[in-house]
Amino acid sequence: MEKKDLKVNGDGLSKKQRRALKVQEKLKVQNNAVNTKENSPNCQVEKKQESKKSKTAERTEVKPSTQLTEKELRKLEWEKKLAAQKGEDGEKNKGLTKAELRAQRREQQEAQRHAKAATKPEQKPQQEPVELKKPLAANKTPPKKIEKKKHPEMRRLQIVSHLYAEAPLNNTIVNYKNVHPAFVRLGVQYSTKKILGSNARCRALLIAVKCLINDLQTPPKQEFCRYLEQILQSGVDYLQSCRAFAVSMSNALRHFKLKLQEATTLDDSDKKETLLNNINTYISEEIDKAGEAINAHRQKKQFEVIVVDGRPFLEGRQMLQRLAHIGIHCSYVQINAISYVMGLATKVLLGAHALLTNGFVMSRIGTSQVALVAQAYNKPVLVCCETYKFSERGQTDSFVYNELGDGDMLTSVDTLEETSPLIQTRNDSNLQILNLLYDVTPPDLITAVVTELAILPCTSAPVVLRIKPTDLLNFKI
Amino acid sequence: MNEEEVKNFFSKTIADNEDFSVGVVAIMTLMKIIENYKDTTIRGLDDNLREGIAAMKTLDLPVTAINSGCELFMRFITLAKLDYKSFEECRKTMLERGEIFLNKLHQSRDKIVKLATKFIVDGSKVLTHSRSRVVLKTFIEASRQKKQFEVYVTQSAPDNSGEIMCKNLEAEGISCTLILDSAIGYVMEQVNFVMVGAEGVVESGGIVNKVGSYTMAVCAREMKKPFYVLTESFKFSRLFPLNQSDLPEEYKYTSSSKKEKDFKKVHPLVDYTPPSYITLLFTDLGILTPSAVSDELIQLYL
Repeated sequence: MEKKDLKVNGDGLSKKQRRALKVQEKLKVQNNAVNTKENSPNCQVEKKQESKKSKTAERTEVKPSTQLTEKELRKLEWEKKLAAQKGEDGEKNKGLTKAELRAQRREQQEAQRHAKAATKPEQKPQQEPVELKKPLAANKTPPKKIEKKKHPEMRRLQIVSHLYAEAPLNNTIVNYKNVHPAFVRLGVQYSTKKILGSNARCRALLIAVKCLINDLQTPPKQEFCRYLEQILQSGVDYLQSCRAFAVSMSNALRHFKLKLQEATTLDDSDKKETLLNNINTYISEEIDKAGEAINAHRQKKQFEVIVVDGRPFLEGRQMLQRLAHIGIHCSYVQINAISYVMGLATKVLLGAHALLTNGFVMSRIGTSQVALVAQAYNKPVLVCCETYKFSERGQTDSFVYNELGDGDMLTSVDTLEETSPLIQTRNDSNLQILNLLYDVTPPDLITAVVTELAILPCTSAPVVLRIKPTDLLNFKI
Repeated sequence: MNEEEVKNFFSKTIADNEDFSVGVVAIMTLMKIIENYKDTTIRGLDDNLREGIAAMKTLDLPVTAINSGCELFMRFITLAKLDYKSFEECRKTMLERGEIFLNKLHQSRDKIVKLATKFIVDGSKVLTHSRSRVVLKTFIEASRQKKQFEVYVTQSAPDNSGEIMCKNLEAEGISCTLILDSAIGYVMEQVNFVMVGAEGVVESGGIVNKVGSYTMAVCAREMKKPFYVLTESFKFSRLFPLNQSDLPEEYKYTSSSKKEKDFKKVHPLVDYTPPSYITLLFTDLGILTPSAVSDELIQLYL
């Protein structure tokens, strides 16, 4: 229980609730001292028979909560069941040590529960919904998965606790019958970061969808589009579980679904073709042409490029390779050298993952740092971003929504022969590793956004978004 | 009309109508070209208009306003060539539309004056730079409303247009002080706000104006005084400078100084003030923040 409390605490709790929690915690400490006698026999039983324990807990808990509504009672019972299941699974799947750990934790929780029940029954109704959040959210995923997620929680940072939702799926065997092999492959490529960068990911997704349409055999008595949508959804769900979608991908998918709806009136044979054509035009129009429009460097201009790269992905090396290949004079530095190199530059060109409505730019981690240094040196900062990456979301910090990378990527150093000292200590419970993939850059650090439509100040994102749907409407006619 | 005629008409109209902005006169000249065009091909007319614009730019006048005015005209008035079959019909609609456009432009200044006078309150001290017709009109209107205020005008070298501005203001009975360009920092702490005109408004929401405006904006920011810009919306142009050197040369130098090869020794006529220094823009579309300018431009051109 304590674990859960803390975790929820990191989420959006109201101040009042948080204060209530604090008061409780104080009381717990006092009451634990008082109630030790009552609790100790109970706890011993628990260690051996976990299922029984939950029943005793239920009894003690239900009494004070007689004022609760039926619904809340049902929720409570559901929680109990879940807890019991977890316990069983834990004993089967994991070694004794973990089971013991869990038992200990449960012991603590029970103690607290007793304490609460004894002293502060009136607090229950307020407390309950908060506690229940987690099991309810976990409703969708089977309980076994929860078990797996439980363990790494030990080293989770509270401030980003809500981001840990995605379970590492690398080792689970995919047996979704409705997922097309192309999607499965794509999922693995996404999760192992073989395909990186939102443009590449979007393109790969669309190609997979094309593959799907080509191979799709509509079962008898089913309408093609409906069936496709259904299959597509399961594929998308699978991909989502591998790695959260990029803004570009969800925009592309939305566009595709719109086209799909339009296509429902057509013949079955035509449908496939029109849809394939739609995807092809989307790829060529939105992604490739946008890239061409933005890329103005084929005009025989004389310039030099300083590529600033940062761990853990070191994507800059690919960039460097390509630039050097076409004969552009380049230098390569790590982000640590940014302040020195900024003095040499005349302008800063950045990529973007998404442009948000409030003008913030979401991009690979480190971007906002570069922008900040550029501002300090008074250099103009240009962000290159195709308009299909504009998002109607608004976000002011990197924690509300982000993706977490593998923490091990930070502990291992691939450029050195010797192994990093961090590797030995990575199982230390005092060590918390945070590998965020994106950050957001505030609009006042960005001079302009270069899109295929025009060069805009980044505060104009909502206007472009407003124009876009009308574009679609015109396109229809 | 050939090049000479265009130039003559242009300079004459400017001399006759002291009150008109250069951009408006440029549009009037283009209308005149359409009226006097003798052949009957659209293509020829188009070429003639372009030649006319080029001719106007060779005169020693601020190119910024001519450019944006002509661009708007070419884009929206001559679009009629796509809709009509016969040349006469087409010419007629162009002229009609042009007339409506000009009327709108003439009214736009009054709209701005109406918006801006509210910001001048009794006892306020205003700093302005160079001479701007719309700023002048705003001051006059405010004094007609019996508001007591004081104006500081910079001399604004090299053409000393501030002196003319000062005379105009004194003729209206507005108390005004002519200051040196180098005294901006000294005066800034006593004024309530800064009010300037603009030759052009660029896509970022920044302005292109008589050289010295940027200095004034930086000063105003440092002393935390509001920096207001009064400008007609036809001066919005599709340009996105990142710094001073990005401004096109034709904006910065007069055609006569272009003959000199080394620009480093010639002073620019205009500078670029980035949007972050501007508090508000008063336009005939309403009072805009700098970022709203690009929104308007997107809606116009995209």
